[in-house]
Amino acid sequence: MSLRNLPTTLFVGAGIFILWLVTAFCGPLLMGTDPNALNFEALLQRPNINHLFGTDHLGRDILTRVVYAGRIDIWMGFAGVLPALIIGTLFGLMAGYFGGVVEAVLMRVTDVTQAFPFFVLVLAIVAVLGPGLTNFFIAIAAVGWVSYARLIRAEVLVVKNAEYVLAAKILGYHPLFIAFRHVLPNVLAPIIVYAMTDAVLVILFGAGLGFLGLGVQPPTAEWGVMIANGQPYVTGAWWICLFPGLATVTLGLGFSLIGDGLAKHLRIKN
Amino acid sequence: MQRYQVILQRLLHLLPVLLGISIVSFLLVQLIPGDPVRLMLGARAPDEVVAAVRARYGLDQPILQQYLTYLENLFQGDLGQSIVYRKPVGELIMERLPRTLFLAIYVVCITIPSTIFLAITAARHQGRKIDHIITTSAVFGITIPVFWLGIMMARLFGVEFGWFPVSGYGNNFFGHLHHLFLPALSTAIWMVPVLVRNLRSAILEQMEADYVVAGRSKGLPEQYLFYYHILKNSIMPTLNLFGVMVAVLFGGTVIVEKVYAVPGLGDLMISSIFGRDYFVVQAITLFYAVVTITVTLAVDIISTIIDPRVKL
Amino acid sequence: MGKSKNTQGTTTPLLSVENLEVAFDSINGNVHAVRGMSFSVGEGEIVGIVGESGSGKSVACRSILGLLPSNASIDGQVLFEGSNIIGQHEDELRKIRGKQISMIFQNPASHLDPLMTNGQQIGEALRYHFNQDSRKARAEGIELLKAVGITDPEQTFDAYPHQLSGGMKQRVLIACAIACRPKLLLADEPTTALDVTVQARILDLLRTLNQERNLSIVLVSHDLGVIAELCQRVVVVHNGLIVEQGKIEDVVSSPKDPYTRMLIDSQPTIKVRARRARSGPEPELVPEPAAQPSNLLSVENLCVNFHTSRGLFDFFRRRKNSGLVKAVDGISFKIRQGEIFGIVGESGSGKSTVALAITKLVSPSEGQVQFHGKSIMKLRGDELTNYRRSVQMVFQNPYNSLNPRFTVAQTVAEPLLKHGLAIKAECADRVDELMELVDLSIDLRHRYPHQLSGGQCQRVGIARALAMKPEFLIADEVTSALDVSIQAQILALLERLRDKINLTILYISHDLAVVQLFCQRVAVFRAGRLVEIGPVDEVLTRPKEKYTQTLVNSAPQLHFSASLSGH
Repeated sequence: MSLRNLPTTLFVGAGIFILWLVTAFCGPLLMGTDPNALNFEALLQRPNINHLFGTDHLGRDILTRVVYAGRIDIWMGFAGVLPALIIGTLFGLMAGYFGGVVEAVLMRVTDVTQAFPFFVLVLAIVAVLGPGLTNFFIAIAAVGWVSYARLIRAEVLVVKNAEYVLAAKILGYHPLFIAFRHVLPNVLAPIIVYAMTDAVLVILFGAGLGFLGLGVQPPTAEWGVMIANGQPYVTGAWWICLFPGLATVTLGLGFSLIGDGLAKHLRIKN
Repeated sequence: MQRYQVILQRLLHLLPVLLGISIVSFLLVQLIPGDPVRLMLGARAPDEVVAAVRARYGLDQPILQQYLTYLENLFQGDLGQSIVYRKPVGELIMERLPRTLFLAIYVVCITIPSTIFLAITAARHQGRKIDHIITTSAVFGITIPVFWLGIMMARLFGVEFGWFPVSGYGNNFFGHLHHLFLPALSTAIWMVPVLVRNLRSAILEQMEADYVVAGRSKGLPEQYLFYYHILKNSIMPTLNLFGVMVAVLFGGTVIVEKVYAVPGLGDLMISSIFGRDYFVVQAITLFYAVVTITVTLAVDIISTIIDPRVKL
Repeated sequence: MGKSKNTQGTTTPLLSVENLEVAFDSINGNVHAVRGMSFSVGEGEIVGIVGESGSGKSVACRSILGLLPSNASIDGQVLFEGSNIIGQHEDELRKIRGKQISMIFQNPASHLDPLMTNGQQIGEALRYHFNQDSRKARAEGIELLKAVGITDPEQTFDAYPHQLSGGMKQRVLIACAIACRPKLLLADEPTTALDVTVQARILDLLRTLNQERNLSIVLVSHDLGVIAELCQRVVVVHNGLIVEQGKIEDVVSSPKDPYTRMLIDSQPTIKVRARRARSGPEPELVPEPAAQPSNLLSVENLCVNFHTSRGLFDFFRRRKNSGLVKAVDGISFKIRQGEIFGIVGESGSGKSTVALAITKLVSPSEGQVQFHGKSIMKLRGDELTNYRRSVQMVFQNPYNSLNPRFTVAQTVAEPLLKHGLAIKAECADRVDELMELVDLSIDLRHRYPHQLSGGQCQRVGIARALAMKPEFLIADEVTSALDVSIQAQILALLERLRDKINLTILYISHDLAVVQLFCQRVAVFRAGRLVEIGPVDEVLTRPKEKYTQTLVNSAPQLHFSASLSGH
């Protein structure tokens, strides 16, 4: 049970994640610069002492913008995953444990949703609802919960035949009590691991939408938006694109490593 | 049960799915806040035109009737009319499809051999340096945004070294190969890691399997056991993931086409979103779904050939 | 051929293991699985290795062929025909594996490659060792399948493993093992996963192979009965050491080591004569129903159906009734107050389904269950809760029957709290009481299931059931996952509980010997139907039905002890 038994990847991942959390939420307080402040004296400056990551075509400081954007992208990871996770888990638990109509409906919805390429469907929903972060979250939740529900259901189908669940039924507990107290805690592990992978995907998709101009709207700093802004200047000013990209990779790495570490840890335990 | 019977049953299974995707794509246009026709045609369009378009697609009828009209049109191969291009959407899609298809097949051709090679190398050297290098790069690969990688590679190989063109599609087969190399590579770099991790762990799991011990007890050499028993058994889960990944691949091509200005389906979808050309968006979404279903079906049929136990 | 005389003494034995030591490197340090074993196997001899789980018997067996994982280190010598195998290069080992020494395993299903036909798996060894072409390999493979007693060898040759039953798979595995005419066969628990009648046939097959092909066999098993059935000599291992070895008759009738004696005493066997001598009046003189305590539970004409597949096209299937399986098909019996009633049957006999029907976890399609003379079929609300309290169940798999996230105390306390049988304050005391009742040290209170032994887990399961103060306890294969010594303890516990708190017990098992030892009356099930019912001594010593006779004859016995105690 001691910390020493946990895999290294988990620590590295958690370390990266915490570092990002601190940077994104405390960094701006120290820097005090406005991420959207234009500076026509310093257009497209290479990384230097005043601007560690250089400046963009409007003279905005890339470092400041990357740090500010961190807030939005971290938030995307959470707000994109949690609703899908909660809806999917509840739906999957009910479908797997009670079967019947709920299960039949879930299976059909799953078949249909999985027929669409995930990104294309999200894109289409955002297209009709209109661009912006909120609509992105709605689209992600509307499409994403299905994967969670499917995963949970598969796990529940195994656990619900475990002898301890039979014992609980014979002990006369309420079905809902059994579902939440005995089944749910024993099916959550793979979901949590999956949620970490999913967070990476959501961040990548969010940034992708930002890049296409359908996510966070400029001038708000967001990594995908910043990369899109830098694309026309990439030949001369590579730094505008490079740093937001690296930021995305590192944050994603944090989530990935946490997921890997958890997977390794939980598998050993089982 | 005979194999063809299994496949027939799988085909029957497709009917409700097809119905489902038609409902979803139908609902897409219904979701639009406000009047889609007005939004598409713009504020200045005369009322008669708006009414005519609405009548053409039955949008002035009750919703169920609208859906039936939509289905009927689909059966007749009518995917709708593009407002921007003033052409049937079907024609537009057929124009663009070969490019996207070429790109997708290109990606698959890069992905499969490199996945198998890397996963086998990593698994056979489990815990050694080469395995660490492959698995670590895989973790990185998954977290790289495709569009960013595309831009950076275009900058490096296209601009800096001048090896590859950074936009367009080329004029002949080799031109396509040359033009689409960077787009295909950047998509593959994102797909391969997922598959490599999956295949590697499947191989490692199968290496521990009881039938391998049994094979060893018969005196069979390790090399033989690996290629004839372990690998064959590890392919199954990865094959299924591959089916899913192809769907992801089509999602990826949308954004890659945008980065490299490849005039394919994805590029059409994006520009139609901005042009509020909703029927095109709707039709392309539906079309992608049909392609995905076809690929999944193919994967399932291959599964029944590899694994005699599979019941679809 | 055909003569299997022991050539012990003058010539060198076929296999001789000397001072074998095996240690595994793990995160928790070195684990010594085998700590110096020496034994030998003569030409044409069958030697048994018997021991409980963790005794190192399987490890020793695998180390003979060098089949241990890479974190194992081996010391000592394994001489095969006089030359040492340990430390040989893989290439040399491969010439021995399959061709000189081969092996069969406990779980035949997982030891066959699911993606290859049976024939390919038999043929690959022939092709590799003898360079046979595929046509010759096919002819020989079909011969081999005939030799291992498969009735339609050609069809089986082209079939895939998943299309065969467990017994058939084991036969295919044996065919693979003997394909290259090895001199020695290592059999690691070859019949443990099989039903008792199938087990008997596989043991017959091994005996035939031994006689016809002069094949020496090392039979590893936890079941002394199986060893006694087949082996000429036995090696008893405990904690990585050999505690005793010798001729099977000698070891069984006069064990020298206390551990061997304990093993023999714990081993339930159908002690025909011994039992009858004790039971006083001839069983058939006892009139069956009259003058007995009242019936607690009666099952009448119970039928339970299952639908095998569920899916979109179920609709069509159900109409054709093809997916319908009659798990229980018209079974009736009565259980009297205070008795221990046994149900025996092989897998698929419907014995567990009956338990599920009694506990209302499945609903029967026909018939009914009465408890205290009242039908349970329509119980609702409080009445159902009361019934739940009276009827409890203990399960087969020790680890699977406890919620892995609950401590012992939480597991035992939950029913008390949920049903208001104890208030929070006195709950801890009640838990302690219950733990003492099942002989669990109360120091284990805060342990999780994975920190307990199998026997301890079963005790927790019993304590959880007893928390409800039931009148009737169903024990479904509760000891089949346990070592015989632990099994004896659990059975003793259940017997004591019956007297102490007036329990009536329904004991479900595949093991006739345990049922005979433990129950008063028994019902024999087969394929969802009741074959025979009556007092154990009557049913199991003078079975009326042919199937019961087969079952009794298939059960491995310690002949020697039985005949000795009969004298």
